[in-house]
Parts: sequence; C-alpha cells; structure tokens
Amino acid sequence: MTDDDKSAPDSPAGPTTSLLVAPRDFVCMQPFIFESGQTLPGFTLRYETYGALNAARDNSIIVCHALSGDHHCAGRHAPGDRKPGWWDNLIGPGKAVDTNRFFVVCANVLGGCRGSSGPSSINPATGRSFGISFPFVTIRDMVRAQKILCEHLGLSSVYAVLGGSMGGMQALQWAIEYPSFVRKIIPMACTARESAQAIAFNEVGRQAIMQDPDWHGGGYLAGAGPRVGLAVARMMAHITYLSDTSMDRKFGRRKKETAAADAYNFDVQFEVESYLRHQGQAFINRFDANSYLYITRALDHFDLAEAYGSLEESFRSVEAETLVVGFTSDWLFPPDQNRTIVHALLRAGKRASYAELTTDLGHDSFLLESEDLYDLVHGFLECAPVAAPAPAPATDSRP
Amino acid sequence: MSTPNGKRTIDMEIIGDWVEPGSRVVDLGCGSGQLLEYLVQSKGVQAIGVDLSFLNISACVRKGLNAYQGDMTDFLREFPDRFFDRIICSRTLHELQRPSTVVDEALRASRALTVGFVNQGFWKNRLSALHGKKVVNEVFPTAWAESRPANHLSITDFEQFCAGRGITIRRRVLLSGNWRTPCRALPNLLAGYALYDLSQGG
Repeated sequence: MTDDDKSAPDSPAGPTTSLLVAPRDFVCMQPFIFESGQTLPGFTLRYETYGALNAARDNSIIVCHALSGDHHCAGRHAPGDRKPGWWDNLIGPGKAVDTNRFFVVCANVLGGCRGSSGPSSINPATGRSFGISFPFVTIRDMVRAQKILCEHLGLSSVYAVLGGSMGGMQALQWAIEYPSFVRKIIPMACTARESAQAIAFNEVGRQAIMQDPDWHGGGYLAGAGPRVGLAVARMMAHITYLSDTSMDRKFGRRKKETAAADAYNFDVQFEVESYLRHQGQAFINRFDANSYLYITRALDHFDLAEAYGSLEESFRSVEAETLVVGFTSDWLFPPDQNRTIVHALLRAGKRASYAELTTDLGHDSFLLESEDLYDLVHGFLECAPVAAPAPAPATDSRP
Repeated sequence: MSTPNGKRTIDMEIIGDWVEPGSRVVDLGCGSGQLLEYLVQSKGVQAIGVDLSFLNISACVRKGLNAYQGDMTDFLREFPDRFFDRIICSRTLHELQRPSTVVDEALRASRALTVGFVNQGFWKNRLSALHGKKVVNEVFPTAWAESRPANHLSITDFEQFCAGRGITIRRRVLLSGNWRTPCRALPNLLAGYALYDLSQGG
C-alpha cells in the first residue's frame, strides 16, 4: 500500500482517537516448520493490540497487513507522532472496528522487516543476517505464525480477521486453516490467486532489486543494500496501487516549481516524478530489500485453487461467515477476482456476501475514508446472523 | 421480526408458503432484505440476495443476511444446474433489461422459480393508460419524472411467454385489486397482482 499521508485531521471526536499504543515482541522458542519444509529454531513476531480482551477471550479481531504494511495499524506510539497507524481511520474507539468492544491484534508478518523474523534478522548460527538463507515464506506460514501468537495471547477464538490485499489473502487462509477458530472474515481488494499481470509487476520489482550491484546476492550488510533497486521497485509498485484517475487528479501534468526553464534535461520536472522519487526514498529507509523479495514471492505463490484442487475445495472446511469487499477502480486485484472468491464460497455452501465500492483510488481504496465502507464493516461485525427456527441443513450434502 | 403487512409485503406470506424449510434460496433484486429476513426467520432457509445497490447490500449485511452486489444473470451463471432450490423474482421482472435471459438462467440454476408482478392488465392500470398517464399507486408511488425505466407486463403477456418457452406453471395465485382476496374471473382484467411457481419442463 502507499504511504500517502491520509492521517489528515482526526474526526471531531478528538480524544477518542488519541489511542496510544506500544509494539510488543512475541518470541516463540518452539521450532517452526515452514511450508517449504525449511525450519527455524524459533521466531519473533512484533505486534500491537488495541482494546481489551473480554472474560470469554473471544472478542479479538486479527488485522492482517499488506505487502509493505506493518503491525502499527492504529493509534500513535507517542502523542506527538505525525501519523497514526495505517488503518487508524477504520480502527479505534467508537470506529467501524470498535476497540471499545473488540480486542484488536495486528502483527508484522513472518518474513517481514518491521520487527518480526525475516531475512534481515540475525541468524544465531552465523551472527549475520539470514539474507536469502531465510526459509521461503508463504501466506499460510504467516497465518500459522499468527495463530501461535493467538495461542500465546490466550484467545479462545477469533471473532474476525480482516485485511486488504495480502491481508485479505491471510484472512482467507485463516478461515481455511482454522475453521472452528474464526467466526467472520473480511477480505478486501483481494484475490485467491494473482493474475499474470500482478506476478509480472512483482517480478519487475524483484529484478530491480536483484540487478542492483549492491544486492550482493542478498548478502548485503545491515544499513547497506540495493537502495536504488528497492526504490525503483517501490516506485513501480506504487503506481499499481493507484489509478489513472486518481493520479491525474493528484498530479495531472503539473510541473515542479523548480523545473528549469530549459526543459531539455532529465531532472525532475513533473510533480508525479518528484512524488514517486520521494516514495522510493522513504521506502528504503523503512523496508528491507530481501523482505520485499520474500513477501512478493509469497504473494505470487498464493493460489488456493492449486493448493487444494479447486477454489471450492479450498473452502470446503470454512465455517466463518465471509464479507468480501471489492473496489471498482482496483486494477491490481480487480472486482472480478474478488467476486470469484464469493462465487466459490457460495458454491461450497458457505455464508458469504460481496459488496463493491465505487471509487477511483485504485487498489489502495481499502484504506479509503468512506462512511459507506465504515458502515458496511461495522454492520458486518456487529450483526448476528438472522435467527432461524431450525438449524440450517448440512450444506455440502449435495454435489 | 418483520411481519407481512400492507401491500408491499402481502406477497411475502404466499412466497414463503412455497419455500421449503431449510432450502437454498436466492432473492433477485433483494433490496434491503425484508423478504430475505422473513424467509430466514420463518423457514430457516439458506438465503442470498442479489442487488445492484451497495447501500442495499450494506443494509442486508447489517441485518445478518448474505447478499451479493452485482448483475443477477452474471451471478446465476456461476452456479451449476439446479444448484438452488428456489429463486425468487418478486416485483423485479419489470425492471430488468432482458427479463427472458434472467428467467432462463434462473430456471437452469434452480429447481423452482417464484415470479411475482403487478398486473399491468388490471383495469385501474388500463384506466391510467387510457387517460394517457403513468400508473401511480401504492406500489409505484412515483410520478414519471422520478421513476426508473420500467417494462411492465400483464398476466396474458407472462402466460404466453411461459407457454412459448415450455415453462411449467406449477402454481398460480391471482389476487384482486386489494391484493388480499383471490381473483376468480377475468384475471388479466381483474387481478391486481400475480404470483407464479415455475419450473422448466415437466
């Protein structure tokens, strides 16, 4: 997702939004076996929680972040922080995901670089960063690590899992992997398998990183690395999170004030160039290039139909009720790929809904400040299924 | 619990009577989910509504109902033959671009189809036409300038359509102008509202 400053003025409710949080580390000392068969003797997940766990320990909501996101999804670490967490517009006291009611947990993914174990972590066996000797990570590995965190936190079940983009993939995987543990999921701007185009964009990003001489086969030292390659990867990816319309509105063909009168050179001239360069530079200060390789690979590998035989088959075990949310201008994981998830869930006899917001903000629309989106999410989280006089019949008794 | 009352909901009871408890039901053009809610509560059906409007989908979701935002024909095409037990198309047909396509798809994807519509042949509606005016009544309360395009049909239109396509009418309920008492004679002239229970073939 993009780093745009959407923090803008907080809602008039003022004090209710000044949630202060501190990240914590969960260190698991048990060996972790990755889907690839590779193992780690243990792992760390950095996470944040908001709200309080109830006595039944069943009011938790797991928030899953996208490729470049992290565990800081709401609130601020200090009152003076310029920006709150990345989904602060949705999550907080009295908000759509109401932290007065729910215990919200968000962890940096396994393979990430924001405090959880990943390629930039120190390999105790060598005293140096793992680099590309870190085990290959899948969406399922990310979810399995989160489940171990949930057990550590003593959750008896999870009320809901939600996330956009890669976060939505994790939500689906949660419902598949732990059917009786999850009651509701909300995947947004999501896909059950990336298209060739999405894989292609990821590959260009990876090549930008790996062709940078400073990548050193993944063995760069902490603080060094393929800064140019990572910045270019980010610049390109950033475009795929927006839309033609939104970029045109934001930048148009406006030129930088500093653009030389003599335009026949390759300095920054258009505002959109300057913006992308800034995004690239900001990214290299907070993201590890090898993590970028690992996580984009996890995205590319995610393919529920292939993993389970068919998409319906992958959902066979699901017990959670699903709300999929698509966005009209999302051309990375377009509405049709979101619909496909709902079709398969329904064909598998599961409870699922599909809603689509008309937006022009592209893939990143799930971060939109939209009362319609808030109402939808809030309504889904707060509702109880309509009571039926008799228990529903077995759903998969027919072909 | 919502209970059927008034003209907008009088058909809910009849529609509900034709729904098997616990069956798999689709409501095409579900609106904010009033009928769905009634069917889930009274019959324990496994139901999904289809509608084009985000706000309607959001309203259904808030009620704890499943709903799908999108084109109804495209939706039905995603399901194998006879996947659903009953599809309901209540006061929706006249708003569709190509009603026959939806009826065909519904009769393929479902064992049974309920169709309910306001009879354009009803004498009062004919009178409006005779006076050269759009029908404005309790069910279609808006004047022409505030209305959506509509493709109204009569009982004769619909039954000829069914006969031409080999669609079996298993049950038929014709209500008089008050929508309560049955209409016994000259239905195309005297029935205000018609409900059909249909299936494809025998």
